Amino acid sequence: MSKKNTEKKPSSFVIMLKRLFGIHQKETQDIFTEEQVQSPMRTVVRNFMDNKLAMTALIVFLAIFLFVLIAPVFMPIDLSFQEGTQANIAPGRDMMKIPKELQGNIASIDGGSTFGVGADTNGKVYVWGKTKISERIDLKDIPEDMGKIVQVSAGVDHILALAEDGTVYSWGNDRLQQVRLPNDIYREGKIIQVEAGYQLSMAVTDEGYVHVWGNENINDVRVKRKQQGTIAKVVASGDSVIGLTEDGEVVHLGRSESDIDKIPEDLENVVDIAACSTTGAAVTEDGEVVVWGNTQKGQGNVPEMDGKVVQISGGRYHFTALTDTGHVYSWGDNVYGQSEAPQTEGITNIYTGYYQNYAVDQDGNAQTWGLKGYLLGSDELGRDVFTRLVNGGRMTITIGAVAVIISTIIAVIVGGISGYCGGKVDIVLQRVMEVVSSIPFIPFAMILTVVVGNKVSETMRIFIIMLILGVLSWPTLSRLVRAQVLAERESEFVTAAKAMGVSRVSIIFRHIIPNVISVIIVTATIDFATCMLTEATLSWLGFGVKLPRPTWGNMLYGAADSVVIQSYWWRWVFPALLLSICVICINTIGDGLRDAIDPKSNDR
Amino acid sequence: MLRYIGKRIVYIIGVFFLISIIMFTIYNSIPGDRALTQVAPIKGKVSAETFDKMYQDAREKLGLDDPLPVRYVKWMGNLLTGDLGYSTYYRQDVVEVMKTPMMNTVFINIFATILALGITIPLGIFCAVRKFSKFDNIVQVLTIVGYSVPAFVIGLIFIYIFAVKLGWFPVSGMNSPNFQGNAWEAFLDRMYHLVLPLAVMTCAALGGMTRYVRAAMIDALRMDYVRTARAKGLKEKVVIYSHAWRNALLPVITLIFGWFIGIFGGSIIVEQMFQLNGMGRLYWVALMNQDYDVALAMQMFYVILSLVGNLIIDLSYGIVDPRVRINK
Repeated sequence: MSKKNTEKKPSSFVIMLKRLFGIHQKETQDIFTEEQVQSPMRTVVRNFMDNKLAMTALIVFLAIFLFVLIAPVFMPIDLSFQEGTQANIAPGRDMMKIPKELQGNIASIDGGSTFGVGADTNGKVYVWGKTKISERIDLKDIPEDMGKIVQVSAGVDHILALAEDGTVYSWGNDRLQQVRLPNDIYREGKIIQVEAGYQLSMAVTDEGYVHVWGNENINDVRVKRKQQGTIAKVVASGDSVIGLTEDGEVVHLGRSESDIDKIPEDLENVVDIAACSTTGAAVTEDGEVVVWGNTQKGQGNVPEMDGKVVQISGGRYHFTALTDTGHVYSWGDNVYGQSEAPQTEGITNIYTGYYQNYAVDQDGNAQTWGLKGYLLGSDELGRDVFTRLVNGGRMTITIGAVAVIISTIIAVIVGGISGYCGGKVDIVLQRVMEVVSSIPFIPFAMILTVVVGNKVSETMRIFIIMLILGVLSWPTLSRLVRAQVLAERESEFVTAAKAMGVSRVSIIFRHIIPNVISVIIVTATIDFATCMLTEATLSWLGFGVKLPRPTWGNMLYGAADSVVIQSYWWRWVFPALLLSICVICINTIGDGLRDAIDPKSNDR
Repeated sequence: MLRYIGKRIVYIIGVFFLISIIMFTIYNSIPGDRALTQVAPIKGKVSAETFDKMYQDAREKLGLDDPLPVRYVKWMGNLLTGDLGYSTYYRQDVVEVMKTPMMNTVFINIFATILALGITIPLGIFCAVRKFSKFDNIVQVLTIVGYSVPAFVIGLIFIYIFAVKLGWFPVSGMNSPNFQGNAWEAFLDRMYHLVLPLAVMTCAALGGMTRYVRAAMIDALRMDYVRTARAKGLKEKVVIYSHAWRNALLPVITLIFGWFIGIFGGSIIVEQMFQLNGMGRLYWVALMNQDYDVALAMQMFYVILSLVGNLIIDLSYGIVDPRVRINK
């Protein structure tokens, strides 16, 4: 064999990459061999591959396409999901990133809605995570000269700290006076515990007295007179407050008869309590865990535990418990992985708040699990923008693709028949084309979605939107197909087919259309981009796919607000960016295809 | 020529009636009782019998009990005599409701059209003359970006940069609230508010139009008469502007006329984004508030615009270029 054949050929992928960046050297062939080896389709493919810009666009688009197609399988979307404490959070995954200085000497830690706060054994306070509450309020602005802090507690937007001498410090959002300490706070004895709830602050004194300040209505908190003077510890969840008395009994510190009020009557000798939403949990002296109240999110499914439980702590909708063998267990709601406790030993203390868990071992090092943060931030209802982006992308691309398939099918059929048959059929079909194309597109699509879409289910509505887009956008392509068919109608192969007695339908769709397929592909590609844009525009105007189901268009709905544009930029930048990149890529691919199919058009 | 115009007009009237039937049927299939909406505000203020009577009167007045064809003929008759119906949202005649938005839209779009044409035509010619130069390649890439990025994204970016970050222009609205001053100051104030919307509209139009002008000009430059002109030793300026451009104008003219028609239609997207009280926003508000008389009237208005626009484009070919004068 010749030497040439034995040389190792680079793989097709390498060749493609080389072509992409223009370093591939074409083998020169004389014109006859080239004519022999290359079918027209291969020439088109080769021409297209030589176009660096179009190839880049194709790769970028395919990457986005595959990603939004595959990723939703791993990131299913819960359409009814809402979480007020997680609204408008900036991108980043640093919510549980404990500062290095704190690791190794942790004295107290607490997790807030989007941040964490901790005190080291020297009494110095650290704050981490998403600490910006508003333009002016930042939880990182820790008060100076606080003395030695022994306990910290984090609420949804404020922090309480307790110094060794019983002084209470607070900072953060003060809209409901949760930061303003009451005047009589030091009157009923030395303060031994502080607890920050949802816009609510509490302090327990060594005489069993509870001070409450902040928003007392939304949390349903009221300490009855007979309860004052008996309390040893209080815990607050997002909705309610329970207390542990010095006698080891659990009391509900609230007015209304919510689910948490149903404390089991035989519950006694309690050593630790915890609360999440309207669920309560208590640990008895024997190490048993008792859960009562609303257990809709699985808070009641206490797992099998190794050893006696000694400590329990509650998040937003989950509990974490520590056993005397040093193991930790979490159960309850698991949307952010907050119930996936690590398999470790030697834990001495646990701290849980909202969606964060911290387990501290003997050396004072903390392990964390739960909500780290949001890659691309969260929106006004606390939904993850990344998940919505991925799912919305699938919706936008699917609608665009189905619409363009519908419009292409109609266009080919109408254009083919109209061009081939001519005469009266042609005139009628031409008029239909003109009627459809003289209907203004976006206004008509808007009214159609109002008329048809309101009576049907959401899935049906999406199908109808696809149908409307498809049915309104065929005339352009149809005209092109008709012109091409007119040109091909008189060629020899059609005459030959006629002479052989091939049926009309067969001549149009099996003989002529394959010859004009290139025009169809190019136009369909560009129509695909147009359909995606139209869907996005409709959804942006509020007439396409309705919230909460996301698309790239309706994720931008309501974004033209100066507050959103400025402060919550992640809510509009990412959908806008992806939509634009996708459409630019598709249009570039379309241009590249046209150049590849018809090199003459390159001159234009 | 006259015969052709006559034929086209007859045809347009036919299409207009066809579309109006479709529209009327669609709007009448919308669920909801229009008579009830009209009398709803006085419910509870009068006795049940009086209310019932008023409701029945309203039904009769609106003709809700007639069969659809009868209602269509009535509606068409009203439409042709200039009575477009009654807006349930504004509590005014539709004609009155449409006056101000129409003025605003025309005002905005005249500026937008002049701006867009003023930029794209020179740019397109320049790119065509120096095709495949570095400048042309950059413009080509930018135009793809320009016609791919949706107008509302351009709007968001512009608001972010010029209104929020730099604070040069207001975020939305058409006038300063409680503005006082003479007519000239009012005009300046309005222009100040319109800078951003106009910029967005121009940018959104730039991509497609520049490509169009460039393609037309390249076609013209390839013609034999251009070569002849050059061979005669004419100055390049004369060749480009007098020989090539005049011929390239033919396809461009359709674009210009198309744009002038768009003046009245308004842009739903830009008007909605900047809260401008124009035709597009009026349509949006009407649909959002189930004010179907307004929506239907505007829909018919859009249809007429589009049909007349097509006619003008066809005729303009003949006016600009004697070679294609239609004699059919």
